[in-house]
Amino acid sequence: MLAAMLILAACSKTPDIDHNSMLDGDKIFDPSLYDSAKYLVSVRIDNPTTKDIQTPVVIAVHGYSATTYEWDEFRDFADNSGEIYVSQVLLGGHGRTYDEFKNSSWKDWQASILDEYRALKAKGYAKISFAGSSAACPLMLDLIKEGEIGYNGLDHIFLIDPIVIPSDKLMSIVGLVGPMLGYLETDMTNEEEGHWYHFRPQETLQELQDLTEKIRKDLQKGFKLPQGTDMKVYKSIHDPTADAVSAVLINKGLKNYDGSKVSIQMLESDLHVVTRLKGRDDVTQHDRDIQKEVFDDMYRILTK
Amino acid sequence: MNRKLLSTFILLLFFTGLRAQSDSTQATETERPHIRILQAGIKIQKTQKLYWENGIYLDWGCNRLFDYHLHFGFSYITSRLGSAMGTNAIKQDNYIFHSTWHFRPTKSLQPLIRMNTGYFHADYEDPIFDVLDNTAFIFGLEAGLVYEFDFPMTVGLTVGYTFTGGDGTSGPGTLYPVFYQLSIYTPVFDQRKK
Repeated sequence: MLAAMLILAACSKTPDIDHNSMLDGDKIFDPSLYDSAKYLVSVRIDNPTTKDIQTPVVIAVHGYSATTYEWDEFRDFADNSGEIYVSQVLLGGHGRTYDEFKNSSWKDWQASILDEYRALKAKGYAKISFAGSSAACPLMLDLIKEGEIGYNGLDHIFLIDPIVIPSDKLMSIVGLVGPMLGYLETDMTNEEEGHWYHFRPQETLQELQDLTEKIRKDLQKGFKLPQGTDMKVYKSIHDPTADAVSAVLINKGLKNYDGSKVSIQMLESDLHVVTRLKGRDDVTQHDRDIQKEVFDDMYRILTK
Repeated sequence: MNRKLLSTFILLLFFTGLRAQSDSTQATETERPHIRILQAGIKIQKTQKLYWENGIYLDWGCNRLFDYHLHFGFSYITSRLGSAMGTNAIKQDNYIFHSTWHFRPTKSLQPLIRMNTGYFHADYEDPIFDVLDNTAFIFGLEAGLVYEFDFPMTVGLTVGYTFTGGDGTSGPGTLYPVFYQLSIYTPVFDQRKK
């Protein structure tokens, strides 16, 4: 019976996509693809003034299967402050169609981070920082490890719920069972629909597994931040997606340039990426308090 | 809570073992002698997509335990003797009690199935992580083969699944489900005829 189900699953490898409601289809795309000026500081400001160049710019990057929506609330917060610019980067292969996602590698996902970073550098921005949620964090850690970010290349790196160890330990066998499954379907609220891929091709889960394993091993060997860059990690204690032990591995494996520990704050939260509350059901005052605490802390660090 | 469960389970298995030793006597043999074998050796474990955890292995067999079908064993395996040696991998320890059923125990090649119960502990080495779960009761199953050579050495190869790993909301994050083991052991106390 199980064998029959597995064979059936293997045969029906293309999901049933509702093009009218799902991001995976050919009607709904991430808005940054239509209006890059609204989302990317490098496009929005053609000729930055001296004041622009001295304004902190945060490259804000979403996680696996998500879109720029994941950082909308921080962008609104930053816009209200008037003192921080935010570039909301869309990862390669994301925000488009199921097939584009399926055929993308984690290197493809990462490429748009480096593209915006280089574009901002080319325009002379002097205070560039990075904020990443979930899988954006190992993508950024890889850029650090491989030397793509150099001396004084980034002011601050903020990692929100970095994933190095997944909460779902069955990810460890995605290479074995993935091809039989084809894809996984995600539960989401009505408001979230259209902002995350509804279906996760097993190929992309394997890419995520490869990425997190690479970073786990890099942290195991140990590496340092470049000179002039500091880091703050915000980690939910009870996280259904990115195991909190990921923060332990970062604490052990990644050091500031001078050898000191990076800053880590454990959050009394049950949510994965508490900095994104829009679209969730059952948001509590406690969740909002934590989001505000993290935003205020990031603001304090960026503007000190 | 975990320790209570663990000690209850160990006591249960101990008494099962005792009963098995006396129950396996046939009706006509009331005074069959105990012929015991204690073996010791090393165990090498690789967790699927995670650490090497290695250590020691003890295995106990007796003719009164269903004619050497049932073995009891104990392992201590740790990443301190594996992936954590000289690296930033998490230092974690596993103390495991094994109940193993050997098929064909008189032959060289013996398939086996095994039940594991035990205790897992990870050291996060920084007080900011005191808020995280770092211990767990281990419960798992294994299956595989051992080969008993003509000279006093046995090699075992098994694959196992631990059911009690963490899931992000509770439990330690680096107790993963799927693992592969190699054990190499030799008799240290053997009452069997040569």
